[in-house]
Amino acid sequence: MEKGTFQDVNAKVVQRCREGDNRAQYELYKLYSKAMFNVSMRITNDYAESEDVLQEAFISAFKNLHSYKAEASFGSWLKRIVINASVNAVRKRRSELVPLEDRIAGDIPDEEYDDDAEWQVEQVRRAIQRLPDGYRVVLSLYLLEGLDHAEIGDVLGISESTSKSQYSRARKKLLEIMKDTHSMA
Amino acid sequence: MKDRLKEFVNENREDFDMFEPRPELWQEICTELKVQKALEEKPRKEAKVISINFGERLNFTADFMFMRVAATIVLLLACGITLWMVKQNAPTPTNSLAVATETAGQPSVYQVAPELAEVEVYYTSQINSKREELSEYDLKVLGLDETRQIDNELARLDSSYTRLKNQLQTTPNTDQVMAAMIQNLQIRIEVLNHQLEVLKKIEAIKEQDTTEPKNNETTTI
Repeated sequence: MEKGTFQDVNAKVVQRCREGDNRAQYELYKLYSKAMFNVSMRITNDYAESEDVLQEAFISAFKNLHSYKAEASFGSWLKRIVINASVNAVRKRRSELVPLEDRIAGDIPDEEYDDDAEWQVEQVRRAIQRLPDGYRVVLSLYLLEGLDHAEIGDVLGISESTSKSQYSRARKKLLEIMKDTHSMA
Repeated sequence: MKDRLKEFVNENREDFDMFEPRPELWQEICTELKVQKALEEKPRKEAKVISINFGERLNFTADFMFMRVAATIVLLLACGITLWMVKQNAPTPTNSLAVATETAGQPSVYQVAPELAEVEVYYTSQINSKREELSEYDLKVLGLDETRQIDNELARLDSSYTRLKNQLQTTPNTDQVMAAMIQNLQIRIEVLNHQLEVLKKIEAIKEQDTTEPKNNETTTI
């Protein structure tokens, strides 16, 4: 019920945007720019690049608003644009997001590093930032952007199982980083 | 398998969004949107089509490119016709005086003899008014065909005037040449004056001839 009314409010603003209303465009920007900027930040790990992605994504969203069919919420539609633009930005600076040796889905031992951990958001966030590009992208998409492995496979052009194994490696690496920083502190 | 990390992130989802873009970014997006809008509208304008329907049989479509070409052709035609008309109306060089035509061609002459310009203006106006006076008489009706002779005489004087004018630039004795030129102009006026006098006399005689028989007629009746 709550979700329904929220979509209705958005639908009106989206319609005004379609008619080229600049104020409606700003309303959507205010509503989504921060969340979308952080999505891009997690994928690109670069402030300037994320701004470029955000600009590019909003412009392309306003231009292609006619292709948005209100099947999903405007937010998730926009998020997909931001994710694709961010992944492209990372691809530009590095040809392979997922290294070839990692593409073979192998068994990763499920060592649980997290049993004793008292996590803090800031600590996890910093650790994610320290991950290499390939790991960080898969982990962010799965953990924070809520994509499943099939969707991640689509976005990155890899198989679902590769996404799964890549996530496991990334997760393991992340916990290692957190343990290191914790013991160092 | 439970993923405690995933659970933790889901619980604290909001707190992970800690970055914010620069506030100026919206302005940059706005300008970019305007630029793209302008770019989109440009080709649309050019592709605008005027279509005129004459019933159902004749369908005449013309785009702006065609209209531009048509306008250019019309403009060129108009220019051409105007030029042609001007050329047709322009006086033939034989009718004009060397005095008048030379003025534009040789400005250096007036540097040698600055008073010449004034002299020329005075005499050419005189000559032209005499000529106009002459043209009012219908020479053929008056039974005179010697006008050609006068024209020849005037043309000869004109050519000698041109020769003198050229001499003016080379000769050190400008005063003598100037005097000759003025004399040349005076002769022309004299020739024209003489012709006018002759014509006036002839006209007077003819008028007498036509009025006298009329008087005779009235007396007989």
